[in-house]
Amino acid sequence: MVKSIQEQLKNTDANISIDEAALVAQAKAGNMDSVERLILKYQQRVYNTILKLCGNNDDAAELTQDTFVRVIQNIKNFKGQSSFYTWLFRIAVNLTLNFCKKNSRVSFQPLQSEPDEELKHQLKDYLIDKTSPQPPQIAATKELHSLILKALEKLDADQRAVIVLRDIEQMNYTEIAETLDIEIGTVKSRIARGRKNLREILEAAIQ
Amino acid sequence: MKDMEQIEEMLNCYIDGELDERKSNEVKRLIDNDSQIHSLYDSLKRYKNLMDTVCQVPAPEGLCDNITAHLEREVLLADTQIYSLKAGRRHLMARRLMTAAAVIALAAVLSVVIFDIFVPKSSRQQLLSNALRKKTIKQVLYEKPFADTKQQEDMKIVPQNPYDVPLVAILALKTNNPIEVDWLVAKALTTTDLFNQTAAIDRQSGAVRYVINCNNQSLISLIQELSFIWPQCTDTKIDIGTEQAGKYITINNISARQVMEICKAENFGQRLRMANDLAIINKFTTPAIIDRLYAAVDIDYDLLVTQKPTLTSTEKTQIASQPPDNIKNATLTIIVISK
Repeated sequence: MVKSIQEQLKNTDANISIDEAALVAQAKAGNMDSVERLILKYQQRVYNTILKLCGNNDDAAELTQDTFVRVIQNIKNFKGQSSFYTWLFRIAVNLTLNFCKKNSRVSFQPLQSEPDEELKHQLKDYLIDKTSPQPPQIAATKELHSLILKALEKLDADQRAVIVLRDIEQMNYTEIAETLDIEIGTVKSRIARGRKNLREILEAAIQ
Repeated sequence: MKDMEQIEEMLNCYIDGELDERKSNEVKRLIDNDSQIHSLYDSLKRYKNLMDTVCQVPAPEGLCDNITAHLEREVLLADTQIYSLKAGRRHLMARRLMTAAAVIALAAVLSVVIFDIFVPKSSRQQLLSNALRKKTIKQVLYEKPFADTKQQEDMKIVPQNPYDVPLVAILALKTNNPIEVDWLVAKALTTTDLFNQTAAIDRQSGAVRYVINCNNQSLISLIQELSFIWPQCTDTKIDIGTEQAGKYITINNISARQVMEICKAENFGQRLRMANDLAIINKFTTPAIIDRLYAAVDIDYDLLVTQKPTLTSTEKTQIASQPPDNIKNATLTIIVISK
């Protein structure tokens, strides 16, 4: 059943075309097909957001599962005052941040202790010397990915949440404010401070 | 410094496309005109581009299946929740009861141990023997319709001082031989040394009256002496004074022995009862019969008269002690009447 829906979604580019409001309404009515469609639509984005927040694959997988279970259990209480998307991500972020607080740790994936010299050089060229007009070719490598995650780890939870939602999940400021239940002004200031801190952390790492 | 923060915030909004057209133009102009802001903008833009390169990681395989399985498990658990709840409560209650029983048993064992250690052996044995000797309380198996009331005990009339009410008696002896009887009375008084204690002797035509004040013992002796007169008498009567002045109990046909018994009465109450009883008895029986009975068997007077309830209370009876000889607690008036 799931595989058939996945194929259907892939084949028809359903991520875009399926009317979300109709799916939510059907899910509220107890239609499991609609529930599965919603899961398939958002699972990767939710998983990536949680992963960037908690930094551990296993925890992220479990938290993603818990998020969707919580969503399905409470979907009847969803009144549509906000979008389903922000409601889903609010549950995901709250669960993850609570999990991080309870465990008093953010156990990121084990990273390479020091970035590769060539990567450091390229990054330095790009970020500090500004000689390279484009991100380095190796930016998409796993190593850079790990480096950014490690820098995110050092941010405090509030700044990390807004940076992840904005730069990874590509939410706009209004959606972030809705998801985190904060003012837009707060979103702006947190993004500014978070990026500044992140820049300092990365510059310190490649020096 | 604060301005710089605001500018940085504004630049971030500009990079993220969160500014309206007017503000966007202002920021663009600012970037073009100020090299420092331009540098900052460039730096922020590069970081933004770098973050954009972070690739999306695919979700774990079978996430949807796992969620479905999780939900199914939750539904099953919800079905069994009620049973689990009841079973859990029973289990909890049983555990609590067992814990309470264990605590009580432990406390009992500890008490025995402490008792064994601290209480001396002799005291222990004494305590145990007292406990065994202790009477069990009678169990009331039914409810009595009326509450137990203590029966009023028949109190024996015991004056505070047995001799505080003197014997007052008037003995009338009717005879055909008044002179002889008079002489015998005088002789009896002399014999018993009561002649000096005779308060008055009143001789009138057809009657002689003697008033004697003496103690009880002397009076008994006098009556014993006078008993010889009785055969000379045709009729006898005695009036026994009561507690009410001027009121007497009259006993007709009284014998000498009966008079003596009255005189021997231990106290005033007994004397009155005797007088009453004898008055009744003598009313229906001739004195000769009683005297014959007295003569035949030396029985106690109490066996002949109606038995009255005696002292049943737990109070100690005051022992009647004999009064001293100098106390004159009897006044006997003897009247000899010629028929």
